[in-house]
Amino acid sequence: MSKTKPGILSRVASWLDSRLGLTYPLLRPVPRYAINPLYWLGALTVVAFLIQGITGVIMMLYYVPSPTSAFQSTKYIFDSVYYGRFLETIHLYTAYAMIMLAFMHMMRGYFVSVHKKPREMMWLVGMVMGFVTLGFGFTGYLLPWTVVSKSATDVGIGMIDALPAQVSSFVSFLIVGAGGDATELLRFYDLHVVVLPAVLLVLLTAKMYMLEAHGIAEPSAGAPKEPGRTIPIFPDVTVYLLGLAAMFGSAMLLISVILPLNLPPQYTPQLAALYTPQPDWYFLWVYQILKIGIFEGNGLPVALSLVTILFLVLFFLPFIDKGSEKRILNRPKFVTIGLIFVAELLVLTYWGLITPGQVIPTGSALLVLGGTAVIVAALSLGTYSVLRRRGQHGDLAIRSNLKTASFLFRRAATLIFLIAVGSFSIGASLNGSVNLILNRGNAWSIIWLVMSLILLGATILGAAVFIYQLELKSGSLKRRVPLFDLG
Amino acid sequence: MTPNEKTVSLLLLLQLISSIFLWTLNALGTVSGGKFATFLAVDMLALTMVAYTYTHEKWGEMVSRVWMLAGSVGLIVLLFAGLYFP
Repeated sequence: MSKTKPGILSRVASWLDSRLGLTYPLLRPVPRYAINPLYWLGALTVVAFLIQGITGVIMMLYYVPSPTSAFQSTKYIFDSVYYGRFLETIHLYTAYAMIMLAFMHMMRGYFVSVHKKPREMMWLVGMVMGFVTLGFGFTGYLLPWTVVSKSATDVGIGMIDALPAQVSSFVSFLIVGAGGDATELLRFYDLHVVVLPAVLLVLLTAKMYMLEAHGIAEPSAGAPKEPGRTIPIFPDVTVYLLGLAAMFGSAMLLISVILPLNLPPQYTPQLAALYTPQPDWYFLWVYQILKIGIFEGNGLPVALSLVTILFLVLFFLPFIDKGSEKRILNRPKFVTIGLIFVAELLVLTYWGLITPGQVIPTGSALLVLGGTAVIVAALSLGTYSVLRRRGQHGDLAIRSNLKTASFLFRRAATLIFLIAVGSFSIGASLNGSVNLILNRGNAWSIIWLVMSLILLGATILGAAVFIYQLELKSGSLKRRVPLFDLG
Repeated sequence: MTPNEKTVSLLLLLQLISSIFLWTLNALGTVSGGKFATFLAVDMLALTMVAYTYTHEKWGEMVSRVWMLAGSVGLIVLLFAGLYFP
């Protein structure tokens, strides 16, 4: 019997493995069902953080954190450093991606109940990591010292005054210092490049430790009946993650090429007076809440309290949503609340984007936010009602359909699409109406309003068809409407 | 060589050429960030395809032709887009 001699690569790999212990089973293997990008949103957030670190360290070689030099050094990176503009662009876009991925990671966790026993502490640590991520955004935004960044940061800092006096003076000293632009910029810089990365790394270590202890969360519907099918961390999962990270990096590079960053003008008090301050997109929803008429002036502490309560509810979610039920199909209340939360964030963000500096009448806010909540709740609870009825009365074929992941995925994707388009069309209609009133019949505002109303109508029709089709498949519908029978 | 091994070999060759090209660009330092970023994206997309093929082959699962075709089209588009930049 001939024995095949291992190739040079195999021998090198074997030598490295015997010295470095790469295949030593240090980390627990991953179940096959977890080989899905949705399970690795947290890992992708870490990849974004690493890209931030690499590009940030290169920029630190040139950046000077003082009010007189910050803008000039940023401009120097833009204009004179090789690929400097590309570096700045990719640093910004991966920061955006990091925030977006962290949010998606949190919301996926919420919907599939990863915050429940025994992963409560992982949720708490993850939430603190989320706050740190927002802290990165807030502190990093000031550093280029442009009129856009400084004005928006000043608005954020101004909100600290609405806090109770003791808290306000402490927070103010912590992030702004004794006063003056120089101390403010230096503190923001220190927080951005030293304190927050260090805190995030400690929290990441703690979370990884807990992940190793508890393992990857099972799907909300329970683990599939194929025990034993696990994938080793090295090299399989490592290669899989490398591929995922490369795809993410590739997407970030392309976005940076297609939409390169332009540096706004340098901050001066005179220029700032002409500019309407507006935070970056991830804080726009808070900004929009604060602009609602009822919260103007003395109502600011109330608005800040509401936002704080929202964060506290999210933070302590494992101790609020304590039930043992994890299946999405059996958690209509919490899933609906989650969908309303996402839709409201989208509406507020878009609304904030199109109405910079405008105070929002309380009536309009109630109408838009309340309307969004009612539409989303009706869609979500309507879908649940149909699915439940189907579960009780449906035939066997339908039940087996219900169990297939693709069926649920298609329905969930349709629902999310309807909510997203619905949120957009509500916001767009409102924008059109406001423009029409303010500009008194500008042709473009009329076209915009008509188009957005058509889109809103189409969304409502789409929602009706969606619910009708579900009803039809459940067999509970007595009378067919030929117009809605789309196959 | 199996078709998957041939694919991976081609992709690795493409990555090697792209990396050498990137290194040359970096040394010259006279081209736009767009060209650099696009060729780096080619490298990364090729790496994604290598990882995808490797893992699926190892786990005894079918390598999706649709995904590989989409990736190949993406690579070609990116290569030509990279040439567009000065």
